[in-house]
Amino acid sequence: MKTDGCRHWKEELGAYALGHLSGEERAALEAHLEGCPACRAEADSLFAVSRLLPHADPERFGPAPQPPAELGRRIAATIGSERRSKRRQRRLRLGLGFAGAATATAMAVLAIFVLSSGSDGGPEQHVAFRDLPSGVRIAATLEPQAFGTEIHMYVKGVSSGTLCRVYMRGPGGDDVSAGTFRYRWGADESAVLSAALDLSRAEALVVHAGKRTFVAPLDRGEATDSNTPQEEEST
Amino acid sequence: MPSGALTDERDVREAYSAHASELYGFAVRSLGDSGLAEEAVQETFLRAWRAGERFDPQIGSLRTWLFAILRNVVIDLGRARAARPTVSDEGIEASIEPFDEALLSWQIEEAMRRIGDQHRRVLVETYYRGRPYAEVADELGVPEGTVKSRVYYGLRALRVVLEEMGYED
Repeated sequence: MKTDGCRHWKEELGAYALGHLSGEERAALEAHLEGCPACRAEADSLFAVSRLLPHADPERFGPAPQPPAELGRRIAATIGSERRSKRRQRRLRLGLGFAGAATATAMAVLAIFVLSSGSDGGPEQHVAFRDLPSGVRIAATLEPQAFGTEIHMYVKGVSSGTLCRVYMRGPGGDDVSAGTFRYRWGADESAVLSAALDLSRAEALVVHAGKRTFVAPLDRGEATDSNTPQEEEST
Repeated sequence: MPSGALTDERDVREAYSAHASELYGFAVRSLGDSGLAEEAVQETFLRAWRAGERFDPQIGSLRTWLFAILRNVVIDLGRARAARPTVSDEGIEASIEPFDEALLSWQIEEAMRRIGDQHRRVLVETYYRGRPYAEVADELGVPEGTVKSRVYYGLRALRVVLEEMGYED
């Protein structure tokens, strides 16, 4: 059967699938559907679509937001550096004859961990803040310098433009300012700050991000080299 | 390793240019925050790259695979947030609908964006706003029959676009 003859009926099918036909129109159309498998199949497939419509929000039919241009570059850069460090790890593993070193990378998230690199410039400390709001990540690397401590701050997950003020807490609870920076979405670089306090004497790293304050105690026992802390009990 | 696996950086770049805007659009809708959406998309491509050897185009499309990864990323994010219901810092809170419902909504909205203006318009007026066909016809300066046929062709177009997008019932 030529379906051209059904054209009138077909054009009713949209309104039919949306439940917009009057009783009379519907009765006439349904009488036609009884005898026309092609129109019936078309009606079924339109019902499959019309059933989906309630799930959409017409307020959201406008242009969809587009990812910022730098997101692609950032992902490429992260992958590039991950690939390079993987390669380095592989070399290291081969060199040391490690077999099951892969498991060594399994590590508790947001626990404070301290690494002593012990290479040039003395031991640096890696600090991760715990008990953060979900979605927020704050971490830092502290390097002892002649002037005090160099701080590489890494913040993620707070609002773009948030003002962050960083302090190092010395013995006795005195905070020494390390400066300020603003967190921007997309800027994946760490902020480099400095404080005139020896890392070996620092008790904690304090970050005020917007209205919130985060404190990460520093592990002085392992991070310090020859200088033993003088006021271990003070908080 | 299946051919087509996502193992080198060029593959990731190509996957990004093909699918990032869709993933991002959905992530914004689902997370309600553009910053979190960026992180979710970034995490999705990183996980895709790390697991790139396991991607097999014989099994499913790259798009489907990326959305499945994004699903896990968003769920992880939601779980992390659910564990801390008291947090109320600006930019951290965002509504999180159950993922599959949000994905369904987003796919239909995206399909609506892709069909012609005329088709979308009559569907919005007659279906979402519930206006009589005669009134819509008057406003558009066309016969009522034209509004009806646009509704029909609009639904058909929607069906085609959803199929193209890989919508599975």
